[in-house]
Amino acid sequence: MIQVGLLTESQKDSLVGQLYDEDSYFNAIQDANDDWIISIEEMEFCVNPEFQWVKDLPLIDYKPKPEPPIEE
Amino acid sequence: MIINPYSFGVAYDPDAQAFFTASGLTGATNLNAVNQLVLDLKAASIWTKMKAIYPFVGGTAALHKWNLKDPQDLDAAFRLVFNGGWTHSSTGALPNGTNGYADTFFKTDDVTTTGLQSYGVYLRTNPTFAVSTTEASTGLRNGIYWIRVTNSLPTTSNIRSGNRNENISGVTGLIGHSRSTATQWYVNNNSTILVGTISASTLTSETIRTFSLGAYNDAGIISNFSTQQLAFAFYGEPLLSSEMTNYYTAIQTFQTSLSRQV
Repeated sequence: MIQVGLLTESQKDSLVGQLYDEDSYFNAIQDANDDWIISIEEMEFCVNPEFQWVKDLPLIDYKPKPEPPIEE
Repeated sequence: MIINPYSFGVAYDPDAQAFFTASGLTGATNLNAVNQLVLDLKAASIWTKMKAIYPFVGGTAALHKWNLKDPQDLDAAFRLVFNGGWTHSSTGALPNGTNGYADTFFKTDDVTTTGLQSYGVYLRTNPTFAVSTTEASTGLRNGIYWIRVTNSLPTTSNIRSGNRNENISGVTGLIGHSRSTATQWYVNNNSTILVGTISASTLTSETIRTFSLGAYNDAGIISNFSTQQLAFAFYGEPLLSSEMTNYYTAIQTFQTSLSRQV
């Protein structure tokens, strides 16, 4: 099972439009329970000193939302 | 007077050198591979038809983001912006299948309003699928044109041009597409070229949705995240069948020189 970092609403808001390394942006998404999450990679590879707290986020199993149908 | 030519260093193609200068790429193997790629594409008359070429060489996001055709750190130059989880290495850029994608800022109409174009990806790894995903994992896609794989057809890629879908066997290596005329398209399946026809009425202009790498981008709504490692991507003007073949040869030579061919 893939694990992801669980965010609060305010933590999610603080990551919008922010870099976790020189050329990569955070992309918080909602899981099947509508909880905001970021990936293990964003946590592990974050070198932005302002957001080192992401390394301490609680980990949860990733339960993805059902994907929307792709138009044919 | 005897002039030692080696004292002046290696002379690279000017376009390759511009890429090296902008990106900061180093290492003789990397530099020679990119330089040879540029030379091969120019010799095959493919270079001038391309709008964007992403060689994914160097092993970091800072080096993988650059468009070889226009190495400027600008959205208008179709420089990639990585979002979410990616793992960058010497073999390419691996999206995590959860929230990782790259925006190209490129729309179909940046090539033409007729829908005639070419695009393709070089994928090194097989897809894996999230539990609830029924259709996932793509190399390059916007809402109208795409390359994708599905977990119902795990060994098959699907290429779409306008309203025409075509399944091809295989999900790794070079998967490319060219809509060369109003009624004809070509598909690269590595060294195999498929040829088909399409109704002219399905030609589609696209002015809003940009191509994303690693996910489906429907006017900014990102979904269907990929888990396939990218080692090359391109889009540009239509290519002839012979040019598609030559493109595969050049790309495979490039990948082999970097010891990452599949």
